[in-house]
Amino acid sequence: MTDQITFPDVVSWAVPFFIAAILIEVLWIAMKGKGGRYETRDAVTSLIMGAGNVASGILLGFVAFGFFMVLWALTPLDLGTSWWVIALCFVLDDLRYYWVHRFGHRIRWVWASHVNHHSSQHYNLTTALRQTWTGTFTFMMIIRSPLILLGFHPAIVLFCGGLNLIYQFWIHTEAIGKMPRWFEAVMNTPSHHRVHHGRNARYLDANYAGVFIVWDKLFGTYVPELEEEKPDYGLVHNLGTFNPIRVAFHEWIGIFKDATQPGITWRDRLNYCIMPPGWSHDGSRDTSEEIKRKYLAHNPEKRGSPGF
Amino acid sequence: MPLNVLLPMVVFGIVGIAVLLHYMGWSKPATLADESAARKAWLEEFPDDPPKRVVLSHDHHAALIDTEKGHGVVWPMGADTTARYLTDAKITRTTKGLRIDLPDYTAPRIHLTLDTDEANQWPDLMEHSA
Repeated sequence: MTDQITFPDVVSWAVPFFIAAILIEVLWIAMKGKGGRYETRDAVTSLIMGAGNVASGILLGFVAFGFFMVLWALTPLDLGTSWWVIALCFVLDDLRYYWVHRFGHRIRWVWASHVNHHSSQHYNLTTALRQTWTGTFTFMMIIRSPLILLGFHPAIVLFCGGLNLIYQFWIHTEAIGKMPRWFEAVMNTPSHHRVHHGRNARYLDANYAGVFIVWDKLFGTYVPELEEEKPDYGLVHNLGTFNPIRVAFHEWIGIFKDATQPGITWRDRLNYCIMPPGWSHDGSRDTSEEIKRKYLAHNPEKRGSPGF
Repeated sequence: MPLNVLLPMVVFGIVGIAVLLHYMGWSKPATLADESAARKAWLEEFPDDPPKRVVLSHDHHAALIDTEKGHGVVWPMGADTTARYLTDAKITRTTKGLRIDLPDYTAPRIHLTLDTDEANQWPDLMEHSA
Protein backbone atom coordinates (compact mmCIF):
# COMPACT_ATOMS: atom_id res chain seq x y z
CA MET A 1 0.00 0.00 0.00
CA THR A 2 1.30 3.46 -0.98
CA ASP A 3 1.91 5.48 2.18
CA GLN A 4 4.64 7.96 1.32
CA ILE A 5 3.05 10.12 -1.38
CA THR A 6 3.45 13.87 -1.45
CA PHE A 7 1.68 16.38 -3.64
CA PRO A 8 2.32 20.14 -3.67
CA ASP A 9 0.22 22.41 -1.44
CA VAL A 10 -1.27 24.07 -4.49
CA VAL A 11 -3.25 26.68 -2.56
CA SER A 12 -0.17 28.28 -0.99
CA TRP A 13 1.62 28.20 -4.36
CA ALA A 14 -1.37 30.02 -5.84
CA VAL A 15 -1.03 32.98 -3.44
CA PRO A 16 1.07 35.10 -5.86
CA PHE A 17 -1.53 34.44 -8.56
CA PHE A 18 -4.33 35.48 -6.17
CA ILE A 19 -2.59 38.79 -5.39
CA ALA A 20 -1.82 39.49 -9.06
CA ALA A 21 -5.40 38.69 -10.14
CA ILE A 22 -6.85 41.01 -7.45
CA LEU A 23 -4.59 43.83 -8.63
CA ILE A 24 -5.67 43.24 -12.23
CA GLU A 25 -9.37 43.26 -11.22
CA VAL A 26 -8.88 46.49 -9.22
CA LEU A 27 -7.18 48.20 -12.15
CA TRP A 28 -9.83 46.89 -14.56
CA ILE A 29 -12.65 48.32 -12.44
CA ALA A 30 -10.78 51.62 -12.03
CA MET A 31 -10.15 51.96 -15.78
CA LYS A 32 -13.53 50.75 -17.03
CA GLY A 33 -15.66 52.18 -14.25
CA LYS A 34 -17.67 48.94 -14.18
CA GLY A 35 -17.22 45.23 -13.52
CA GLY A 36 -17.54 45.28 -9.74
CA ARG A 37 -16.91 47.24 -6.57
CA TYR A 38 -14.18 47.32 -3.93
CA GLU A 39 -14.16 48.89 -0.47
CA THR A 40 -11.02 49.04 1.62
CA ARG A 41 -12.17 47.60 4.95
CA ASP A 42 -14.32 44.96 3.31
CA ALA A 43 -11.40 43.80 1.16
CA VAL A 44 -8.95 43.82 4.08
CA THR A 45 -11.36 41.73 6.17
CA SER A 46 -11.69 39.24 3.33
CA LEU A 47 -7.92 39.01 2.89
CA ILE A 48 -7.36 38.53 6.63
CA MET A 49 -9.99 35.79 6.63
CA GLY A 50 -8.06 34.12 3.79
CA ALA A 51 -4.77 34.35 5.68
CA GLY A 52 -6.49 32.98 8.80
CA ASN A 53 -7.86 30.08 6.78
CA VAL A 54 -4.33 29.13 5.72
CA ALA A 55 -3.15 29.51 9.33
CA SER A 56 -5.97 27.34 10.66
CA GLY A 57 -5.06 24.73 8.05
CA ILE A 58 -1.49 24.72 9.33
CA LEU A 59 -2.63 24.49 12.97
CA LEU A 60 -5.60 22.11 12.63
CA GLY A 61 -4.97 20.35 9.31
CA PHE A 62 -3.49 17.41 11.18
CA VAL A 63 -6.98 16.49 12.48
CA ALA A 64 -8.45 15.80 9.04
CA PHE A 65 -5.20 14.38 7.66
CA GLY A 66 -4.83 12.06 10.67
CA PHE A 67 -8.43 10.89 10.21
CA PHE A 68 -7.79 10.22 6.51
CA MET A 69 -4.59 8.29 7.26
CA VAL A 70 -6.50 6.07 9.70
CA LEU A 71 -9.02 5.31 6.95
CA TRP A 72 -6.16 4.72 4.51
CA ALA A 73 -4.66 2.19 6.89
CA LEU A 74 -8.03 0.42 7.10
CA THR A 75 -8.90 0.18 3.41
CA PRO A 76 -7.58 -2.73 1.36
CA LEU A 77 -7.96 -0.67 -1.84
CA ASP A 78 -5.22 1.40 -3.50
CA LEU A 79 -5.92 2.99 -6.87
CA GLY A 80 -2.39 4.33 -7.22
CA THR A 81 -1.36 7.72 -8.59
CA SER A 82 -1.91 7.53 -12.34
CA TRP A 83 -3.34 10.57 -14.13
CA TRP A 84 -6.78 9.02 -14.64
CA VAL A 85 -7.01 8.28 -10.92
CA ILE A 86 -6.25 11.93 -10.15
CA ALA A 87 -8.79 13.07 -12.79
CA LEU A 88 -11.47 10.73 -11.41
CA CYS A 89 -10.68 11.84 -7.87
CA PHE A 90 -11.06 15.50 -8.94
CA VAL A 91 -14.55 14.83 -10.33
CA LEU A 92 -15.68 12.75 -7.34
CA ASP A 93 -14.20 15.26 -4.89
CA ASP A 94 -16.21 17.96 -6.64
CA LEU A 95 -19.34 15.87 -6.02
CA ARG A 96 -18.20 15.68 -2.40
CA TYR A 97 -17.79 19.49 -2.40
CA TYR A 98 -21.34 19.95 -3.72
CA TRP A 99 -22.82 18.03 -0.79
CA VAL A 100 -20.58 19.57 1.86
CA HIS A 101 -21.49 22.99 0.48
CA ARG A 102 -25.21 22.12 0.44
CA PHE A 103 -24.97 20.90 4.04
CA GLY A 104 -23.14 24.16 4.75
CA HIS A 105 -26.28 26.09 3.84
CA ARG A 106 -28.85 23.71 5.29
CA ILE A 107 -27.35 22.64 8.62
CA ARG A 108 -26.69 25.51 11.02
CA TRP A 109 -23.68 23.78 12.61
CA VAL A 110 -21.96 23.72 9.22
CA TRP A 111 -23.34 27.15 8.23
CA ALA A 112 -21.60 28.56 11.33
CA SER A 113 -18.32 27.81 9.58
CA HIS A 114 -19.37 28.75 6.05
CA VAL A 115 -21.36 31.91 6.82
CA ASN A 116 -18.27 34.13 6.83
CA HIS A 117 -17.73 33.42 3.12
CA HIS A 118 -21.11 35.06 2.47
CA SER A 119 -20.69 37.93 4.93
CA SER A 120 -19.37 40.50 2.45
CA GLN A 121 -21.81 42.78 0.67
CA HIS A 122 -19.29 42.91 -2.17
CA TYR A 123 -18.54 40.31 -4.80
CA ASN A 124 -14.99 40.50 -6.05
CA LEU A 125 -11.86 38.35 -6.03
CA THR A 126 -11.14 39.16 -2.38
CA THR A 127 -14.54 37.64 -1.51
CA ALA A 128 -13.20 34.32 -2.80
CA LEU A 129 -10.52 34.44 -0.11
CA ARG A 130 -13.01 35.19 2.71
CA GLN A 131 -12.75 31.60 3.93
CA THR A 132 -13.58 29.84 7.17
CA TRP A 133 -11.29 29.43 10.17
CA THR A 134 -13.47 26.79 11.78
CA GLY A 135 -14.03 24.16 9.09
CA THR A 136 -12.43 21.44 11.21
CA PHE A 137 -15.18 21.78 13.83
CA THR A 138 -17.95 20.98 11.34
CA PHE A 139 -16.60 17.40 11.00
CA MET A 140 -17.37 17.58 7.27
CA MET A 141 -14.13 15.69 6.62
CA ILE A 142 -16.34 12.63 7.16
CA ILE A 143 -17.92 13.25 3.74
CA ARG A 144 -14.50 12.55 2.19
CA SER A 145 -14.33 9.12 3.85
CA PRO A 146 -15.77 7.19 0.87
CA LEU A 147 -13.04 8.53 -1.41
CA ILE A 148 -10.28 7.30 0.89
CA LEU A 149 -12.01 3.96 1.46
CA LEU A 150 -12.38 3.53 -2.31
CA GLY A 151 -8.60 3.68 -2.63
CA PHE A 152 -7.79 7.33 -3.38
CA HIS A 153 -4.73 8.27 -1.32
CA PRO A 154 -5.37 11.14 1.16
CA ALA A 155 -2.62 13.20 -0.49
CA ILE A 156 -4.43 12.94 -3.85
CA VAL A 157 -7.78 13.79 -2.27
CA LEU A 158 -6.32 16.90 -0.58
CA PHE A 159 -4.49 17.86 -3.79
CA CYS A 160 -7.78 17.70 -5.72
CA GLY A 161 -9.51 19.70 -2.96
CA GLY A 162 -6.84 22.40 -3.36
CA LEU A 163 -7.33 22.50 -7.14
CA ASN A 164 -11.09 22.79 -6.55
CA LEU A 165 -10.57 25.79 -4.28
CA ILE A 166 -8.24 27.46 -6.79
CA TYR A 167 -10.79 26.95 -9.59
CA GLN A 168 -13.42 28.70 -7.51
CA PHE A 169 -11.24 31.80 -7.06
CA TRP A 170 -11.80 33.30 -10.51
CA ILE A 171 -15.60 32.90 -10.44
CA HIS A 172 -15.89 35.49 -7.65
CA THR A 173 -16.07 38.45 -9.98
CA GLU A 174 -18.54 40.80 -11.62
CA ALA A 175 -15.97 41.70 -14.27
CA ILE A 176 -16.96 38.66 -16.34
CA GLY A 177 -20.53 38.48 -17.63
CA LYS A 178 -21.34 35.12 -19.15
CA MET A 179 -18.95 32.54 -20.59
CA PRO A 180 -19.66 30.66 -23.87
CA ARG A 181 -22.89 28.67 -23.71
CA TRP A 182 -21.19 25.23 -23.68
CA PHE A 183 -19.01 26.34 -20.76
CA GLU A 184 -21.97 27.75 -18.79
CA ALA A 185 -23.78 24.43 -19.34
CA VAL A 186 -21.10 22.29 -17.70
CA MET A 187 -18.85 24.43 -15.54
CA ASN A 188 -19.42 26.68 -12.56
CA THR A 189 -18.96 30.25 -13.76
CA PRO A 190 -19.01 33.81 -12.38
CA SER A 191 -22.68 34.08 -13.44
CA HIS A 192 -23.73 30.85 -11.68
CA HIS A 193 -21.79 31.72 -8.55
CA ARG A 194 -23.11 35.29 -8.36
CA VAL A 195 -26.51 33.66 -7.95
CA HIS A 196 -25.15 31.57 -5.09
CA HIS A 197 -23.98 34.72 -3.27
CA GLY A 198 -27.27 36.56 -3.81
CA ARG A 199 -29.47 37.30 -0.79
CA ASN A 200 -32.48 37.86 -3.05
CA ALA A 201 -35.30 35.47 -2.11
CA ARG A 202 -35.06 33.99 -5.60
CA TYR A 203 -31.39 33.12 -5.27
CA LEU A 204 -31.31 31.67 -1.73
CA ASP A 205 -30.05 28.07 -1.47
CA ALA A 206 -29.04 27.75 -5.11
CA ASN A 207 -25.96 26.79 -7.14
CA TYR A 208 -23.84 24.92 -4.59
CA ALA A 209 -21.39 23.70 -7.24
CA GLY A 210 -17.65 23.99 -6.90
CA VAL A 211 -16.31 23.24 -10.37
CA PHE A 212 -19.09 21.46 -12.31
CA ILE A 213 -22.53 23.13 -12.32
CA VAL A 214 -23.99 19.81 -13.52
CA TRP A 215 -24.38 18.70 -9.88
CA ASP A 216 -26.92 21.49 -9.26
CA LYS A 217 -28.78 20.57 -12.43
CA LEU A 218 -28.74 16.91 -11.37
CA PHE A 219 -29.94 17.52 -7.81
CA GLY A 220 -32.46 20.30 -8.54
CA THR A 221 -30.70 23.30 -7.00
CA TYR A 222 -29.75 25.15 -10.18
CA VAL A 223 -31.02 28.71 -10.66
CA PRO A 224 -29.80 30.83 -13.61
CA GLU A 225 -28.76 34.46 -13.15
CA LEU A 226 -31.61 36.57 -14.51
CA GLU A 227 -30.89 39.70 -16.50
CA GLU A 228 -33.76 41.49 -14.77
CA GLU A 229 -32.73 40.61 -11.22
CA LYS A 230 -29.18 41.47 -10.23
CA PRO A 231 -27.91 39.55 -7.20
CA ASP A 232 -27.81 41.56 -3.99
CA TYR A 233 -24.78 40.21 -2.15
CA GLY A 234 -24.39 39.48 1.54
CA LEU A 235 -26.37 37.86 4.33
CA VAL A 236 -30.10 38.03 4.96
CA HIS A 237 -29.08 40.01 8.08
CA ASN A 238 -25.83 41.74 7.24
CA LEU A 239 -23.05 42.09 9.78
CA GLY A 240 -22.37 45.42 11.49
CA THR A 241 -18.67 44.81 11.96
CA PHE A 242 -15.50 44.27 9.93
CA ASN A 243 -13.72 42.64 12.87
CA PRO A 244 -12.36 39.32 11.49
CA ILE A 245 -12.74 37.59 14.88
CA ARG A 246 -16.45 38.45 14.95
CA VAL A 247 -16.82 37.50 11.27
CA ALA A 248 -15.23 34.11 11.98
CA PHE A 249 -17.11 33.21 15.14
CA HIS A 250 -20.43 35.11 15.17
CA GLU A 251 -22.65 32.21 14.13
CA TRP A 252 -20.99 29.85 16.63
CA ILE A 253 -21.75 32.44 19.33
CA GLY A 254 -25.32 32.64 18.02
CA ILE A 255 -25.75 28.85 18.22
CA PHE A 256 -24.36 28.82 21.75
CA LYS A 257 -26.73 31.58 22.91
CA ASP A 258 -29.75 29.98 21.25
CA ALA A 259 -29.03 26.44 22.43
CA THR A 260 -28.33 27.43 26.03
CA GLN A 261 -31.28 29.79 26.55
CA PRO A 262 -33.54 28.83 29.44
CA GLY A 263 -37.01 27.39 29.04
CA ILE A 264 -36.65 25.30 25.89
CA THR A 265 -36.57 21.54 25.42
CA TRP A 266 -33.49 19.46 24.66
CA ARG A 267 -34.93 18.80 21.22
CA ASP A 268 -35.08 22.57 20.64
CA ARG A 269 -31.45 22.88 21.75
CA LEU A 270 -30.42 20.20 19.27
CA ASN A 271 -32.51 21.79 16.52
CA TYR A 272 -30.74 25.13 17.02
CA CYS A 273 -27.57 23.23 16.01
CA ILE A 274 -28.77 21.07 13.16
CA MET A 275 -31.83 22.72 11.58
CA PRO A 276 -31.42 25.15 8.66
CA PRO A 277 -30.25 28.71 9.43
CA GLY A 278 -33.19 30.86 10.53
CA TRP A 279 -34.98 28.05 12.37
CA SER A 280 -36.27 29.01 15.81
CA HIS A 281 -38.29 27.10 18.40
CA ASP A 282 -41.02 29.77 18.46
CA GLY A 283 -41.09 30.58 14.75
CA SER A 284 -39.86 34.12 15.39
CA ARG A 285 -37.22 33.92 12.65
CA ASP A 286 -37.34 33.05 8.99
CA THR A 287 -35.65 30.18 7.17
CA SER A 288 -34.99 30.55 3.45
CA GLU A 289 -38.25 28.67 2.72
CA GLU A 290 -40.19 31.18 4.80
CA ILE A 291 -38.40 34.12 3.13
CA LYS A 292 -39.36 32.75 -0.30
CA ARG A 293 -42.95 32.12 0.86
CA LYS A 294 -43.30 35.70 2.13
CA TYR A 295 -41.77 37.08 -1.06
CA LEU A 296 -44.23 35.14 -3.21
CA ALA A 297 -47.12 36.34 -1.06
CA HIS A 298 -46.19 39.90 -2.09
CA ASN A 299 -45.15 38.95 -5.64
CA PRO A 300 -47.49 36.10 -6.69
CA GLU A 301 -46.68 36.65 -10.38
CA LYS A 302 -43.14 35.35 -9.72
CA ARG A 303 -44.44 31.91 -8.67
CA GLY A 304 -43.01 29.22 -10.94
CA SER A 305 -40.13 31.38 -12.17
CA PRO A 306 -36.49 30.26 -11.52
CA GLY A 307 -35.74 29.96 -7.81
CA PHE A 308 -39.42 29.72 -6.78
CA MET B 1 5.58 27.14 -0.27
CA PRO B 2 8.04 27.78 2.57
CA LEU B 3 6.54 29.80 5.42
CA ASN B 4 9.41 32.32 5.34
CA VAL B 5 8.32 33.22 1.79
CA LEU B 6 4.55 32.83 2.21
CA LEU B 7 4.20 34.95 5.34
CA PRO B 8 5.88 38.15 4.03
CA MET B 9 4.05 37.75 0.72
CA VAL B 10 0.68 37.58 2.50
CA VAL B 11 1.48 40.52 4.81
CA PHE B 12 2.80 42.76 2.02
CA GLY B 13 -0.04 41.66 -0.25
CA ILE B 14 -2.72 42.65 2.27
CA VAL B 15 -1.05 45.95 3.19
CA GLY B 16 -0.34 46.80 -0.45
CA ILE B 17 -3.91 46.12 -1.58
CA ALA B 18 -5.32 48.11 1.39
CA VAL B 19 -3.13 51.13 0.59
CA LEU B 20 -3.98 50.92 -3.11
CA LEU B 21 -7.75 50.77 -2.48
CA HIS B 22 -7.59 53.63 0.02
CA TYR B 23 -5.67 55.91 -2.33
CA MET B 24 -8.07 55.07 -5.14
CA GLY B 25 -10.77 56.66 -2.96
CA TRP B 26 -12.59 53.42 -2.18
CA SER B 27 -12.79 53.96 1.59
CA LYS B 28 -15.69 56.41 1.55
CA PRO B 29 -18.69 55.47 3.70
CA ALA B 30 -22.08 54.88 2.10
CA THR B 31 -24.35 57.87 1.61
CA LEU B 32 -28.13 57.74 1.89
CA ALA B 33 -29.37 60.07 -0.86
CA ASP B 34 -32.71 60.79 0.83
CA GLU B 35 -35.28 59.37 3.24
CA SER B 36 -36.45 56.96 0.59
CA ALA B 37 -32.94 55.50 0.32
CA ALA B 38 -32.80 55.17 4.11
CA ARG B 39 -36.19 53.43 4.10
CA LYS B 40 -34.98 51.04 1.39
CA ALA B 41 -31.78 50.30 3.34
CA TRP B 42 -33.86 49.51 6.45
CA LEU B 43 -36.24 47.25 4.51
CA GLU B 44 -33.28 45.30 3.11
CA GLU B 45 -32.56 44.15 6.66
CA PHE B 46 -36.12 44.11 8.05
CA PRO B 47 -38.50 43.58 5.11
CA ASP B 48 -41.45 42.84 7.45
CA ASP B 49 -41.07 46.05 9.47
CA PRO B 50 -41.87 49.12 7.33
CA PRO B 51 -40.67 52.41 8.83
CA LYS B 52 -43.27 54.79 10.32
CA ARG B 53 -40.74 57.60 10.54
CA VAL B 54 -37.29 58.18 9.03
CA VAL B 55 -34.90 60.83 10.35
CA LEU B 56 -31.91 61.28 8.07
CA SER B 57 -28.67 62.62 9.53
CA HIS B 58 -27.48 65.95 8.13
CA ASP B 59 -24.47 64.32 6.50
CA HIS B 60 -26.71 61.60 4.97
CA HIS B 61 -24.58 58.80 6.43
CA ALA B 62 -27.11 57.46 8.95
CA ALA B 63 -30.82 57.37 9.64
CA LEU B 64 -33.00 56.87 12.65
CA ILE B 65 -35.96 54.60 11.99
CA ASP B 66 -39.23 54.12 13.85
CA THR B 67 -41.36 51.04 13.24
CA GLU B 68 -44.28 49.39 15.00
CA LYS B 69 -41.70 47.25 16.81
CA GLY B 70 -39.46 50.07 18.05
CA HIS B 71 -36.51 52.27 17.14
CA GLY B 72 -33.66 51.35 14.87
CA VAL B 73 -30.74 52.83 13.03
CA VAL B 74 -29.27 52.50 9.55
CA TRP B 75 -25.57 53.19 9.26
CA PRO B 76 -22.74 52.65 6.76
CA MET B 77 -20.82 49.40 6.59
CA GLY B 78 -18.12 50.65 4.28
CA ALA B 79 -19.70 51.40 0.91
CA ASP B 80 -22.90 49.63 1.96
CA THR B 81 -25.25 49.85 4.92
CA THR B 82 -26.74 47.68 7.59
CA ALA B 83 -29.41 48.24 10.24
CA ARG B 84 -30.31 47.17 13.75
CA TYR B 85 -33.03 47.75 16.30
CA LEU B 86 -31.86 49.68 19.35
CA THR B 87 -33.22 47.18 21.88
CA ASP B 88 -31.18 47.42 25.12
CA ALA B 89 -28.82 49.92 23.48
CA LYS B 90 -26.48 52.04 25.58
CA ILE B 91 -26.09 55.47 23.98
CA THR B 92 -23.11 57.70 24.77
CA ARG B 93 -22.15 61.16 23.49
CA THR B 94 -18.76 61.37 21.75
CA THR B 95 -16.86 64.33 20.32
CA LYS B 96 -18.08 63.39 16.84
CA GLY B 97 -21.64 62.40 17.64
CA LEU B 98 -22.98 59.28 19.32
CA ARG B 99 -21.69 55.87 20.21
CA ILE B 100 -24.28 53.08 20.44
CA ASP B 101 -23.37 49.86 22.26
CA LEU B 102 -25.62 46.94 21.43
CA PRO B 103 -25.86 43.49 23.04
CA ASP B 104 -25.28 42.02 19.57
CA TYR B 105 -22.08 40.12 18.71
CA THR B 106 -22.52 40.99 15.01
CA ALA B 107 -22.90 44.74 15.64
CA PRO B 108 -21.50 45.53 19.06
CA ARG B 109 -20.67 49.19 18.53
CA ILE B 110 -22.02 51.84 16.17
CA HIS B 111 -20.28 55.20 15.85
CA LEU B 112 -22.53 57.88 14.37
CA THR B 113 -21.04 61.13 13.16
CA LEU B 114 -23.65 63.81 13.92
CA ASP B 115 -23.91 67.59 14.22
CA THR B 116 -24.07 68.93 17.76
CA ASP B 117 -27.80 69.60 17.60
CA GLU B 118 -28.43 66.14 16.14
CA ALA B 119 -26.29 64.49 18.80
CA ASN B 120 -28.37 66.33 21.41
CA GLN B 121 -31.68 65.44 19.78
CA TRP B 122 -31.24 61.83 18.61
CA PRO B 123 -31.05 60.15 22.04
CA ASP B 124 -34.49 61.62 22.81
CA LEU B 125 -35.84 60.50 19.45
CA MET B 126 -34.47 57.02 20.15
CA GLU B 127 -36.58 56.85 23.27
CA HIS B 128 -39.86 58.35 22.01
CA SER B 129 -42.06 56.99 19.26
CA ALA B 130 -43.31 59.09 16.35
